[in-house]
Amino acid sequence: MKLGFIGLGAMGLPLAGHLLKAGHALAVWSRRPEASASLLAAGARGYASPAEVARHAEIVFTMVTGSEDVAAVVLGEEGLIRGGRSGNGQFSTLVDMSTIAPEMARQIATRLGELGIRMLDAPVSGGVTAAANATLSIMVGGPAETLAQVRPLFDLLGKTIVHVGENGAGQVAKACNQMVMVAAIQACAEAMHLAAASAVDPLKVQLALLGGAAGSRVLEVFGVRMVNRDFAAGVEARLHHKDFGILLNEAHRLACPLPIAALVGQQLNALMGHGWGRDDSASLLRVAEVGSARQ
Amino acid sequence: MQIGFIGLGLMGCPMALHLARAGHSLHLWARRPASLEPFKEVDAHTHASAAEVAKHAEIVITMVADGPDVVQVCLGEGGLSEGAADKSGLIIVDMSTIAPAVARDIGAKLAAEGIEFLDAPVSGGEAGAKAATLTIMVGGKAAAFEKIKPLFDKMGKSSTLIGDCGAGQVAKACNQILTGVGVAAVAEAFNFARKSGVDPARVREALLGGFAYSKILENHGQRMLDRNFKPGFKAWMHQKDLRIVMEEAHKLGLMLPGAAATAQMFNAMVGSGLGEEDSIAMLKLLERMSGSE
Repeated sequence: MKLGFIGLGAMGLPLAGHLLKAGHALAVWSRRPEASASLLAAGARGYASPAEVARHAEIVFTMVTGSEDVAAVVLGEEGLIRGGRSGNGQFSTLVDMSTIAPEMARQIATRLGELGIRMLDAPVSGGVTAAANATLSIMVGGPAETLAQVRPLFDLLGKTIVHVGENGAGQVAKACNQMVMVAAIQACAEAMHLAAASAVDPLKVQLALLGGAAGSRVLEVFGVRMVNRDFAAGVEARLHHKDFGILLNEAHRLACPLPIAALVGQQLNALMGHGWGRDDSASLLRVAEVGSARQ
Repeated sequence: MQIGFIGLGLMGCPMALHLARAGHSLHLWARRPASLEPFKEVDAHTHASAAEVAKHAEIVITMVADGPDVVQVCLGEGGLSEGAADKSGLIIVDMSTIAPAVARDIGAKLAAEGIEFLDAPVSGGEAGAKAATLTIMVGGKAAAFEKIKPLFDKMGKSSTLIGDCGAGQVAKACNQILTGVGVAAVAEAFNFARKSGVDPARVREALLGGFAYSKILENHGQRMLDRNFKPGFKAWMHQKDLRIVMEEAHKLGLMLPGAAATAQMFNAMVGSGLGEEDSIAMLKLLERMSGSE
C-alpha cells in the first residue's frame, strides 16, 4: 500500500520502519531532515510538506507531540488536507497515533469528514521499547470499517489493538492509561522514598513487593530506575506533564473530579519547575526527596 | 465622559449603573436585549455592535464570562478594535476574570493598534458590585490607570495598580486560590465539627477571636450555618477561575497542591448539580461525599 508517515521521533521512527520493512511504499516528511535520513536510506521517499505526502499516500500516520502539532500537520497551510482528495491526492485515511485532547481529535475528525477523509485516533502505550519490538497497545477511536481496513497495518506495530469507540474514544482511553500509570509511578516513588528514609534498602523492598499484590509493570520498570537512580529518559517526563494538562482540562470540562490525578499533576508541575522535563518520569522520586530531610 | 460598557450581567449591570449615576453617558451593546432594561431611566445609548460602541466612547469597560468572550469582544468581527480603527486614544478596561496570558496577548494586540488596555478584575461579588465596594486589581500602564481611577472609585472601594498588563489577572488568580481553598477549609471544619457532635456555630464563634479568623469564616461561614446557598458567587464560576489558576501553574511548572485538590472539589460540585449554587455549597458536597447529610 501507499502509506505516509509524519513524526519521526523516538516513537514514530521505529513504527515507520516496521511499515517499510513489511513492503509498503512510504512517503515521509520531517521538520528536521536528519530525522528521516535512515528511512530514506531504507527506501522511503521524502517530500517537502505534509500536503505533498498526502498527494502520494492513501493512508497517512501521524505521531507528533501535542494537539497543536497535529492540527498544524493536518489542517495547517501546508497540511495534509491541502493534498487530500480536493488537492488531487490519494489521501483517504488519517491515523493519528499522537496523544492529544479527545476534543481536538473529534474536531479534526469532523473537519476531515467534511472532505470525505476518514480518521482514526490511535494513541499507543508501551513506550520506545514496545515501539521497537512492535508490541504496542493501540487504543482506537473511529469508524469500525476504517479500523478493519487499517488493522493489518496496526498488526505490524502492536500486539493489542482495541476498538474503544467513536472518534476521540482512543484518546479518552489514553488519558485513562496515563492517569493510572503516572499515579502508579508516583506511588512507587513514594514507596522507594519511604524505604530509603527508613534506612531500608529500596532494592529489597522493590523485590519483595514485585512478588505480592502490589506487584505491577510500573514497579518493575520504574522501580528499577529509581533504585539505580537512573533518570535518563525512557519516557520524557515532559510528555507525561503534557498529558496531565490534557486530562485535567477534560476533568474540568466534564465537571468530573479526579482528586488523585490532580495531585499527581502537581508533582509533575514541580518536576518541570526543577528542569527535569527531559529526564525520565522516575524523577518523581527526586521531587519527593526535595521536600524531605533525606535528600 | 462617554463610556462604553459591554457585559451587563449580575456584576456588570450594577457597575454600569454606578457610572451612569455619576453623570457619565453610557454606550451599550448586549447580546440579550433584556439586559438593557435597567438602563431605560439613565443616560444610555444602545448600539448594534461592540464596534459601534467603540466609535462613540472614550473608554470601554468589558465584564464578560471568560477569555474567549473578551477576545471576541475586543478583537473579533464587529469588535471594539474594528470600531476604533479611525480614532485614537481609546482605552479598554477589561474587568472580567481571564487567564493572565490571554490578557497579555489582548493587550499586545490592542497596543499594536494604538489602543490602551487595562486588565482590572474585581473581588467582592454581586454584593460588592451593588454597593460599589469592589476591590479592583489592575495591570497595565500607570498613565492609563490614573485616567481610569476616578471611574474605578465609582465602582469599588479600592483599586490598586499591581504591575504591567496581566498583573491584575495574576492578583485575581491569587485571590481565587485564597478564597477557593478558604471556602473549602471552612466547609471542612464545619462538617468535621458537626460529625463530631459539636455545634459548628459555637466553633465559628470561638475561632473568630483567634488566628483562624478570616472574612470567609465570618461571612461565608455564617451563610453555611444559615444554609443559605443562594449565589453570591456561583460555584461554576469559581470552578472556571481555578481552571485558569491550574493552567497557569501547569505552564509555570509550579506546584499548587492545595488549589489542585480544591479545584477537583469544584469539579465535583458542578458535576453533581451544585454549579448554580453559591461556592459555599461546598459544605453540601462534603456532607454528601462523606455520608454525613
